[in-house]
Amino acid sequence: MRSSLLGLIGFSASLACAQQQFGQLEGEFRLNGKETWKAFEPVREVLQASSAVIYGGWKSVAYGVVVSADGYLVTKASEIDKIEEISVRVDRKHFKKVEVVATTVEWDVALLKVDGEELPLVEWAEAEPVHGTWVVSNGSTTRRDRRVRVGIISANARQVGGGRAPVVLGVTLKINDESGGLSIDKVHEGSGADEAGLESGDIILKADGIEVKSMEDLQEVLGRKEPGDRLTLRIKRGEEDQDREVELKKRESVFEEEKTRNDAMSGRVSQRRSNFPRVLQTDLPLSVRSVGGPLLDLEGKCIGMNIARANRCETFAIPTKELREIIRDLMNPVQGEEGADEEEGSEDPEEE
Amino acid sequence: MGCLFSGLGVEVAIPGTYFASVKMMKPLPHSERHLGRSAILCTLLFAVFSVGSRAGEKEGDRPYFNQKEVPENIRDLKRIQEALQKSLPRSRSATVSIDLGGGSGSGVIVSEKGLILTAAHVSGGVGKKMTVIMEDGTKHKATSQGLVAATDAAMVKIDEEGTYPYVELDGKDTASLGDWVYALGHSGGFEKERGVGVRIGRLVRMADETINSDCNLIGGDSGGPLFDMNGRLIGIHSRVGASLEQNMHVPVGEFLTNWDEMLRNAFIGEGPFVQKAGPAFLGVATEDREEGGVILKAVGEETPAGTAGLKEGDAIVELNGEKIENGKHFSALIKEGKPGDKVKLKILRDDEEMEIEVELGEK
Repeated sequence: MRSSLLGLIGFSASLACAQQQFGQLEGEFRLNGKETWKAFEPVREVLQASSAVIYGGWKSVAYGVVVSADGYLVTKASEIDKIEEISVRVDRKHFKKVEVVATTVEWDVALLKVDGEELPLVEWAEAEPVHGTWVVSNGSTTRRDRRVRVGIISANARQVGGGRAPVVLGVTLKINDESGGLSIDKVHEGSGADEAGLESGDIILKADGIEVKSMEDLQEVLGRKEPGDRLTLRIKRGEEDQDREVELKKRESVFEEEKTRNDAMSGRVSQRRSNFPRVLQTDLPLSVRSVGGPLLDLEGKCIGMNIARANRCETFAIPTKELREIIRDLMNPVQGEEGADEEEGSEDPEEE
Repeated sequence: MGCLFSGLGVEVAIPGTYFASVKMMKPLPHSERHLGRSAILCTLLFAVFSVGSRAGEKEGDRPYFNQKEVPENIRDLKRIQEALQKSLPRSRSATVSIDLGGGSGSGVIVSEKGLILTAAHVSGGVGKKMTVIMEDGTKHKATSQGLVAATDAAMVKIDEEGTYPYVELDGKDTASLGDWVYALGHSGGFEKERGVGVRIGRLVRMADETINSDCNLIGGDSGGPLFDMNGRLIGIHSRVGASLEQNMHVPVGEFLTNWDEMLRNAFIGEGPFVQKAGPAFLGVATEDREEGGVILKAVGEETPAGTAGLKEGDAIVELNGEKIENGKHFSALIKEGKPGDKVKLKILRDDEEMEIEVELGEK
């Protein structure tokens, strides 16, 4: 009895001290605290109805945006491509039959189809949000309820990653001084180039029959390819010309991104977090497994789709304007191929 | 705990003691846990105390949403958004990236003439040269002024005369726990396409020399500004903890307290955020000369003296025009200088009078 009383006095004394020096705001009242989220309830209801939870077995691995009443939805492709036992939940309905209809590696978006009926769709925002606009997205979920994460638009919408092709041969190239063409400096282990037996010193002449004289020429050919596609390379080794067939792999699976000090303070980030033609930037504190869902404004209108957790203070989303084009292209594959035929500059093209 | 001063993938040279000392300053997650329930009490008492004591000053421009425990509905949220978007353009125009070659931090202009507040671990010392970059990419040369080494406060001044966009300070230090705030900074270094990044949050912890917000910061944000929803400066970003909600800022009051001294280029206090340069160093051994002055007994190779061409046997009779009495006097004069200072020495070599300029080094 006595000791607990003493304990209590000790506790109060330290409390008084804490008040003066360390006033602090309890977790539920912070930006992403339970009490703060309550004000966003009308927007949460939109997520409840029109966002999808993607499961791999029992675990939720990503969110999705419902884009048609009969069950088409889009999500982040690279978060689901190794998932077995994929299932989808919209509101409280669980769909166990899921078809991956199409994907675009340029944007890392997959189109899925479930047998839905009269699913409520997100409403697209007309204008692009400006800096400081509140944004709301999926944060976590139970079987019954979606929960929010909130933040704001943080920076200018822009291209990230210099527009490099998302697939690579797996070589480091240099300009050959004698011929002026591209020669292989280094072949990266486990890459398509490695498996095809390319060697340092090989000079690249043609890719799929098209003459290649510069990094830009090669980028243009690669820009039209998907992971798993094959590319026929004509190379010159010594005095001999040879044809080699190279499997193209995803850039991030061959070239590990350089880890910066900022990455060290960021926790887990999306494996594919760069190399998008155009993104919105928010300060949403999303986890790797909570991207893929809709990005909503205070009206509950959809201003984009979360596509990557980039670092401690940056989350990227595909803007609605581009997202709607992507959806249209994925639902109509013929148009999709034309859409991919874009020429992009390249700032750092030595790794191809 | 991370240091917010950063380069793009480049390791930044920061004195080794920095990390060690900062580690000790990390708020302990354990103690926060223990406070758990009691902290609700703290919050309430603190709010009553602070509102009560300053009510007179705050009435009027204190946003109504800061008086609520949390925003209650979409309308409250929109008022926060409106306030933020109204003050953001000016805050952005005054927020700069500070480029030091090997790495970069951020800062904010607080006077029309180009006075910048930043973190001491960004400016790195007094009298250092750096480049500041405005959001539109315009570059200006700048020089660091005074700093407070113990709390991470520092000033930098743009060299060129001009009229610069600037922000107002929260001069009466009215920021209170729970206030809605926003942070700006050039995360990871200057990126023109991206521009300055803005993050929203609340003041989640207040102490005399540090305030915490849940505005997420990262390397490169160091020295950047934290604003209240009227666009007044309330703090400068300093460091982060492991949790996303541990983002620490130097309160503006710390700058106000040391303002005049910092303007006079004072190096206030000691570490951990920046270490004072050692005493100035010339690199000679001397003996007293009968007629006054000193004679060089030895000149170190690759020392400031050696580089400047001083030779054994030279007699030094004046330093910056002041007659040297003896070795003790000479040594005291050198130690008064700072590394990087240039001193003029009048010497006698083979009875010929010469003047040699030497840039003092660091031992």
